Amino acid sequence: MKQENFQERHHDEWAALDAWLVHRTRPKSLQRLQDGEGLFGDLEFPSMYRRVCQHLALAERRGYSALLIERLQDLVQRGHLVLYRTPAPRWQRVLDFFAADFPRLVRSQWRVMTVAALLFFLPALGIIGLLQVRPELVHSIFAPAELAQYESMYDPASSSEKLGRESGTDLKMFGFYIFNNVSIGFRTFASGLLAGVGAIVVLLMNGLLIGGVAGHLTAIGYGEPFWRFVVGHSAPELLSIVIAGGAGLQIGMALIAPGRRTRSRALVEAGLIGGKLVLGVFAMLVFAAFVEAFWSSIIWMPNTIKYSVGGALWLAIPLWLWRGGRGQTLGNIAPVSANNVGPS
Amino acid sequence: MLDTLTLVETPEGIRLRLRAAGVMPRAAAWAVDFAVRVGVLWILGIGLMLLGETGMGLYLLLLFILFWLYPVLFEVLRDGQTIGKKALSLRVINANGSPVTWMGSIVRNLLRVVDMLPFFYGFGLVAGLIDPQSRRIGDIVAGTLVVHVGNPNQHLAAPQVPVVHAPIMLPADEQKSIVAFAERAQQLTVERQQELAALLPMLTESRGTLAVQRLLGMANAFLGRR
Repeated sequence: MKQENFQERHHDEWAALDAWLVHRTRPKSLQRLQDGEGLFGDLEFPSMYRRVCQHLALAERRGYSALLIERLQDLVQRGHLVLYRTPAPRWQRVLDFFAADFPRLVRSQWRVMTVAALLFFLPALGIIGLLQVRPELVHSIFAPAELAQYESMYDPASSSEKLGRESGTDLKMFGFYIFNNVSIGFRTFASGLLAGVGAIVVLLMNGLLIGGVAGHLTAIGYGEPFWRFVVGHSAPELLSIVIAGGAGLQIGMALIAPGRRTRSRALVEAGLIGGKLVLGVFAMLVFAAFVEAFWSSIIWMPNTIKYSVGGALWLAIPLWLWRGGRGQTLGNIAPVSANNVGPS
Repeated sequence: MLDTLTLVETPEGIRLRLRAAGVMPRAAAWAVDFAVRVGVLWILGIGLMLLGETGMGLYLLLLFILFWLYPVLFEVLRDGQTIGKKALSLRVINANGSPVTWMGSIVRNLLRVVDMLPFFYGFGLVAGLIDPQSRRIGDIVAGTLVVHVGNPNQHLAAPQVPVVHAPIMLPADEQKSIVAFAERAQQLTVERQQELAALLPMLTESRGTLAVQRLLGMANAFLGRR
């Protein structure tokens, strides 16, 4: 068939698809102003789209001109983006993710998670214990100015007003914790791509520094204001940094030891797992920031309640990670990952 | 490397043409985004400063949103385009041609941290120069691609002229070349048109303007116009 005939015969279909695509990809605010009169319905789109795909295949096969092929290519490309678009996030899926998918994912990566936990908690607990026996060692970790700052923050003599804070309202500190802590979590993950070295360094350093501060303050008798301030948010904060480190380590492992996959394939798969883990880390750190800004700062709360809540969180979060999503069939959880596969 | 065109087959059996964007347009898009973000931070920052310590908290939240969430929200909700990418006609998509997913966008933007090492997108630049599709490390891990939107070398319709029949039967690919010439003719100078037409003296059996007209006429015939 001659090209001109072909164009004449199908011109109306192409124009209709073009108009529909323009209408469909318009921002929502504009869409409301202009109704879709004269356009075909959304349900007809897939078959319409596939017809135009067929036209393109025919045009290429018959060697029609570049102009026509480009026009059809353009229609098909735009149609492809609409047909295979990302499904809108649903609350049910978000709920499923945190109730089941995330804990399962953490468990599925238990090797790197264990390594990350050891890298963080061994130096932290080790240095706390060491400083009780030999307090003078703290000077090999911190500069005198830093020590003085920590000491003034948690000085029992003045802690009734300050409680572990230099100054600032709860909301200001919430903003600070979100920006600072969540960014640290994200960086811990991303630096894992440097063959895992970045994540290892961050975990070790944080373990050492946090343990150093805790150990030192306990050793000089400032323990009470310090522990009652940090106990509430310690569980979500420390555990999420460990998970972020584990997520970083598994991406580093994909780079070093891709196994029976190509390196790029392994990295893409590790990136998907890491991205989901970081979503969970993000939620945990936001939660931790809430606790730290609005709960840990409450001064009049008796120690018993502070320690109970902190202890309850130290029980609840590991329990959630350990039991969450057990006994569920894979089918319930599949949708979270299904849309990432997409057409190949 | 002259062409970054990548062909990706879709489930419909059609090959999508993805034109990967190089380092320069991507850097320019990043610069536009950077300017937008700094501008927003500056304008809102002045207002927030007046609110004192509460404003400080909100300012830090804003900083977080602009730094980490801005690219992800734009890329997923606005067809793979941040403001800068829209200005430079770029788009982020999955490497298989489908729209970028939440997870893809999150991963590629988080891993900017690595691409920024050791300073000012050093790793990202090196990766972009090595990779045939100019992907930075974040793109490789996320399985995403930054492509040009639209076609840079747009063809125009062949001009309508009276049909001329070729003196001999031409094979399909040669017919296609002549049609392609007709569609490009308006973008060429008259001299260049004549120079190209003069390459086919046997076919046009004439010179100068007339040869061009005859070639255009043959293109019309091959297109099936009457």
